[in-house]
Amino acid sequence: MKKHPRLLSLFLFLGLFIFVIVPFIPLILSSLSFGWRWPDVFPQAWSLRAWEYVVNDGRTWQAVGISLWIALVVTSVNILLAVPAANALVRYRVRGRWLFEAIIFAPIIIPPFISVMGIHLSFLRFGLTETVLGVVLAHIAPTLPYLFRAVMISYQTLSVDWEDQARMLGAGAVPRFFHVVLPHLLPGILAGASLSVLISLSQYLITFIIGAGQVVTLPILLFPFISGGDPSVASAYSLLYAAIAIAALAGMDAALKRYYQTNRASQQEKGENA
Amino acid sequence: MWQKTKPYLLLLPAAATIILLFFGGIFDGLLKSFGYFPAIGETGFSVAAYDRLLSSSSFWESMALTLRVAALSSLLSAIIGAFIAVALFFLNDSIERTSPKPWHRLFQLPLTIPHLVAGYIMVLLFMQSGFLSRLLAAMGWIDEITDFPVLVNDPFGWGIIFAYAWKEAPFVTLMLYPVLSRIHGSWREVSRVFGAGHWQFIREIVVPVMMPAWAIATFIVFVFTFSAFEVPYLLGVTYPSVLPVYSYQLYTSGTLSDRPEALAVNVILAAITILLGLVAYYFSKRWNVLKGWG
Repeated sequence: MKKHPRLLSLFLFLGLFIFVIVPFIPLILSSLSFGWRWPDVFPQAWSLRAWEYVVNDGRTWQAVGISLWIALVVTSVNILLAVPAANALVRYRVRGRWLFEAIIFAPIIIPPFISVMGIHLSFLRFGLTETVLGVVLAHIAPTLPYLFRAVMISYQTLSVDWEDQARMLGAGAVPRFFHVVLPHLLPGILAGASLSVLISLSQYLITFIIGAGQVVTLPILLFPFISGGDPSVASAYSLLYAAIAIAALAGMDAALKRYYQTNRASQQEKGENA
Repeated sequence: MWQKTKPYLLLLPAAATIILLFFGGIFDGLLKSFGYFPAIGETGFSVAAYDRLLSSSSFWESMALTLRVAALSSLLSAIIGAFIAVALFFLNDSIERTSPKPWHRLFQLPLTIPHLVAGYIMVLLFMQSGFLSRLLAAMGWIDEITDFPVLVNDPFGWGIIFAYAWKEAPFVTLMLYPVLSRIHGSWREVSRVFGAGHWQFIREIVVPVMMPAWAIATFIVFVFTFSAFEVPYLLGVTYPSVLPVYSYQLYTSGTLSDRPEALAVNVILAAITILLGLVAYYFSKRWNVLKGWG
């Protein structure tokens, strides 16, 4: 039966590799090329010109900073909104639960630009357009449902008994939250936060409508280059943008792992002391 | 009293934020699509924008393009995504469980790439002077740039479809893989005892097991591609354009009189996505696919 398991595995792995990795090759080649003429498969001349342009242009790092700042603020607000709401929906008897779920999950289904186009003129009247605050407000609806969902799943596995036990041992509401509830929710919060950051980082249209070209995030900076600008610079910017999205995710992941390691270490210490 | 109102107070900030920022915007747009626009002195209600829209051929061409692109993108993502899921399933099966599995992270890579970057990747790959065209020229299959078909910024929407297939196929895989991993190794052995080969095992066991999750995942991709803006804005043509781009073109065309029409497109889009979303939700509950989705 298993005549060529290795051959089959190799074949499957190769297919996966071509599908995922090979599309990046022209992007990398283009960012390092100097006048890449058809039909050369590889550029005749190499150059770091595009990367020098991207790295030395002050707008690049400003855009990176603003993008990350917006994503961070949006995600922090989302955490503050999502944790109590998830708590209420998972652990209390709530009348009209379906309505609350429908409200909070709606932005997953209905595209956010529909709401943003509608609210645009009101934002204009309140002076929220062309401001970072306005863009932050526009980013909340599309990102909150994902964080809410992740926290909800975490709450579902948190037994009320643990908190009751802490209460019996004399812990007040605040220590109970920080020492019992929060450590249990943290993985869920971080998983949801990664999604929230990723989604905030990749918004183009709603940032463009509300920011009106004045709030220059990475996608806003990138668009003129990829829609008919210098291909080398466009490729370098694209790679930088993708790298920052991946780095944000990897950073969250690493933070979670570190949290567990230090947590385990401190618990072992406590165990040895006792 | 406190115990009764507490959950509602806890829910209030999140629900109020979404109602104000999200539904408020949709409602605002709905009013303006009916011509209610106090800022420019219009306080009457009319369906003129919908009338003009539904009788214009460009709206219907836009609708047809949107449906075609969404249908082909979701179908292609479904096929590629299922293929990757089955491939991962067999890879895990044939390699010892102790070895690390880098491909589990590898296949998710396209999911983390922003849509605009994915779009530009497709430009570099599939444009007439793109990477694929260069490879074909190097192999002697084509002689001129113009021998390569126009696949980017083409009226049919191939570039958009390819971009979505690349980005969303891993999503389909992500939805399928947990279902597949419920298939036990013993089932495979039993099927072997009964003389089933690789293909028979896939056809008789693997496909039926993953069918419900597969259908739902495909449907979610359809709803998403139906209403997404960035990729068609970059990879499409000016006319005909998909509905979200069409709405944006109307909105930014310069005259205020076109805005109710743009917002009417949005209202129609919202209505369609809500309907599709309810269908997906109903079937996923019934088939118990989306565990943890509320």
